[in-house]
Amino acid sequence: MKSLRIVCVLALLTWAAGAAAEDKLYTVVDGYKVDDKTLEGFRTWRALACDRCHGANQQGLVGPSLLESMKRLTREDFRLAVLEGRLEKGMPAFSSSDRMVKHIDDLYAYLKGRSDGAITRAKVEPIR
Amino acid sequence: MKFPWRYLFAGVACALGGSGTALANADLERHIANASNWAMQAGDMYNQRYSKLNQINAGNVGKMQVAWTFSTGVLRGHEGSPLVIGDMMYIHSPFPNKVFAMDLNQQKIVWKYEPRQDPAVIPQMCCDTVNRGVAYAEGKIFLQQADSNLVALDAKTGKVLWSVTNGDPSLGAVNTNAPHVFKDKVITGISGGEWGVRGFVAAYNINDGSLAWKAYSTGPDDEMLIDPNKTTAWKDGRVQPVGRNSSLDTWQGDQWKIGGGTTWGWYSYDKALNLMYYGTGNPSTWNPAQRPGDNKWSMTIFARDVDTGMAKWVYQMTPFDEWDFDGVNEMILADIDVKGKKTKALVHFDRNGFAYTMDRTNGALLVAEKYDPKVNWATHVDMRSGRPQVVSRYSTAQNGPDVNTKGICPAALGTKDQQPAAFNPSNSLFYVPTNHVCMDYEPFEVEYVAGQPYVGATLSMYPAPGSHGGMGNFIAWDAGTGKIVQSKAEKFSVWSGVLTTAGGIACYGTLEGFLKCVDAGDINKELFKFKTPSGIIGNVFTYMHRGKQYIGVYSGIGGWAGIGLAAGLEKDSDGLGAVGGYKELSQYTDLGGSLTVFALP
Ligand code: HEC
Repeated sequence: MKSLRIVCVLALLTWAAGAAAEDKLYTVVDGYKVDDKTLEGFRTWRALACDRCHGANQQGLVGPSLLESMKRLTREDFRLAVLEGRLEKGMPAFSSSDRMVKHIDDLYAYLKGRSDGAITRAKVEPIR
Repeated sequence: MKFPWRYLFAGVACALGGSGTALANADLERHIANASNWAMQAGDMYNQRYSKLNQINAGNVGKMQVAWTFSTGVLRGHEGSPLVIGDMMYIHSPFPNKVFAMDLNQQKIVWKYEPRQDPAVIPQMCCDTVNRGVAYAEGKIFLQQADSNLVALDAKTGKVLWSVTNGDPSLGAVNTNAPHVFKDKVITGISGGEWGVRGFVAAYNINDGSLAWKAYSTGPDDEMLIDPNKTTAWKDGRVQPVGRNSSLDTWQGDQWKIGGGTTWGWYSYDKALNLMYYGTGNPSTWNPAQRPGDNKWSMTIFARDVDTGMAKWVYQMTPFDEWDFDGVNEMILADIDVKGKKTKALVHFDRNGFAYTMDRTNGALLVAEKYDPKVNWATHVDMRSGRPQVVSRYSTAQNGPDVNTKGICPAALGTKDQQPAAFNPSNSLFYVPTNHVCMDYEPFEVEYVAGQPYVGATLSMYPAPGSHGGMGNFIAWDAGTGKIVQSKAEKFSVWSGVLTTAGGIACYGTLEGFLKCVDAGDINKELFKFKTPSGIIGNVFTYMHRGKQYIGVYSGIGGWAGIGLAAGLEKDSDGLGAVGGYKELSQYTDLGGSLTVFALP
C-alpha cells in the first residue's frame, strides 16, 4: 500500500502592523482526499456550475484558468471577484447565493489547493 | 425612395390577415418568392435553406472572391445570418444585440439600433451570448433581445414600434432564438434549461405586440394547449390521442414547474396545414435521479395550429433524458419519397444522434436512424413505441449520481446542435453539419435556487475515439431511407448552418474560420475555401443585388462549441498544462465578429 502523503499548507496571513497569524488552509491526502471544509468548497464549485466557464478542471474556458489566477489573487481579491462579479466582462455575481456566502472561504481553500498542485484532481473525496 | 409602395402593401396584408384568410403572411411570402432576397433566417418557412439562385455554381464557385466585409464591433459568438429585403440588408450581433440596416446600393448604415440591456443578463446565458438573428414582415424588423424583450422596429427608420417582455432574466429566462413570423404573428420561445426555466412558445400579434397565445412544454393540459382527445402522439405503432395529464403523469410532484423543455431552435410552418413545428429542450436538472419519469413534453417535436396554438401532435425523441440531448434542432419540411411513398415529411436531426422522418400531417414515425455511426447510448429506436433502446452501460441514471459514466457518444453537444442543415430539392438529399464528439458525464445532486444555474452534472468532451480524430463531419443524408450517402471529415465540429443552391453547391463554415463550398453531387469535392477573420458558427446565406449573386456568412467564434470544447481532457489530473480541443482551436482563430460577403469577380 502506498504511504499516505499529507500536505498541509501554512498560509501566512499578514495583518496590520506586520503581525503574522498562521492558518492551515486545507488538508489533502493522496492528492484527492480532503478535509470537510475543502470538500464543501468543491461542492460549492459544482453546485454553482463554475465549471461551465472556468472548465471542469479549472483550466479555463471563457473565464480564465483559475489554476493560474489563484496564484495571484489574495483572499480578499477572490471574495470580491466572486461575490461582486465583473458583470460587463461576463463573470456573474454570487452574493445572492446563500451557499456561496457561507462557503466562500472553503471554496478559496479548494481552489488554492488545486492551483498549488497539492490537490491533483478536480473531484475530491472526504478523508475518512 | 423605394419604400412607400411596400408600406402600402403591408397595410393591405394586415387587413387580409385580420379577416382570417389562409395566408402565411402575404408580404413576407412575396419577399420569399423573390430569390434575390434572403427574407427569413432559413430563406423560407420550410427551413430548407435552399436558394434558386444559380449564377454562382459548381463550375465557377472556385473563382469566388471577397466582395466586401463588415465588422459588427462585437467579439462574442455570431450565430444566424443577416436578412436581405430588396436593397436593404439587416445585420445583427450577439449581446448587446445591435441591428444595422445597411443600404446595399451605397453600403451605408441607414440606421442602427442598440438596446440598453442590463449586463447582469450576460452570465444568465448558458452557452455564450449568441443571438440567432432578426425576422422581417410588413415593414417591421423583429428582434428578440437577450433580456427577453421582443421588439418591433420600423424597418425604414429603426424606430421602436412596440416592445414586450417575454421572460424574467433574473430567473434565467433569457433569449437566444430568432423570432419567426407565420401569418399575422411573430412567434418566439425561451432559453434557460440550465436554470430550471419552464419552456414555452408565445405568439404575439405583429401589429401591436399583444399576446395571441402562449403554450408551455410541461404541466397541465390547458397550459400546454393540449386537447387530451384531439392532440395525438405515436403509441403502439399508430397515432393516438394523448389522453389526460400526459405531462403531469410523467413527473414527480411539482418538478415540471422547474423542468425545462425550453424552445430556442428554428421553427417551420406549413401553410396548407396551418401548422408550425418546433422542438423542446432538456428537462432540468442534468441529474436524472432527481426527476424520475418520462418528463413530458421535454425533448419533443410539437406541431401547433398557428391561429390558436393548440397542439395537433407531439413526438418525444428522448423520454427521461440522461445526457442533455435537447430536442430543439430545426424541423425541416420537405415533400420526399419515404420508403417508396411520396410523403409530406418533417425531417429532424436530433441532438441524440438519430435523424427522424415523420409524416408532418399527423406525426406518424416513419424513419429513425443514426446519422453518426459512433452513436452508442441507444442501440436503435423501437418503431412501435418510438422509444430509443438505452444501453445500460451508457445510462447515467442507471449508473447513478457521483458516478462518472464514460465514453457516451454523442456528447451533450449532440451529433448536431442548433446549426441548421439544408435540403436540396434537386436530389432530395439533406446536407448536415455534425459534431463527432463523445463525453464522460457525472451527475450529482443539486438544489434548485431561483435565478441560479441548476445543472447538476460535470462533463468532459473529446473527439469520437476510434475514428478519424476530428470533432466533426459534414454529411449528405437520405431521409427517405435513413442512410448516410456521403461523409466528409472535419477537424472541428461543423457549427455553421448550411446553404444549398440551384447552382449545385452546398456551403458551410468551420470553427477554424473557413467558408467552404462543396459539390452537392460529391461533397468530398471541395470547390472553394476561404479563411475568414474568425471561426464560423453563423449560417451561410445568399442574395442577388443589381443582377449579381452574393454568398455571405458571419464569422465570430463562440457559442457552446467555442466554449465547450475546452473540456477535452482525458484525465482529471491533466488540468494544468493540457491541450484540449479548444486550446487547439486557439491555434487557428480568435474572437471577432464580422460579415464576409463573396461574389464572382
Ligand atoms: C458565465 C461565465 C462564468 C461563470 C459561471 C463563472 N465565471 Fe468566474 N469569470 C468569468 C470571466 C469571463 C472572468 C474574467 C473576468 C475579467 O476579465 O476580469 C471570470 C473571473 C473570475 C475570477 C477572477 C480571476 C482573475 O484572474 O482575476 C475568479 C476568482 C472567478 N472568476 C471565480 C469563479 C467562481 C468561483 C465561479 C463559480 C461560483 C465562477 N467564477 C463562475 C466567467 C464566469
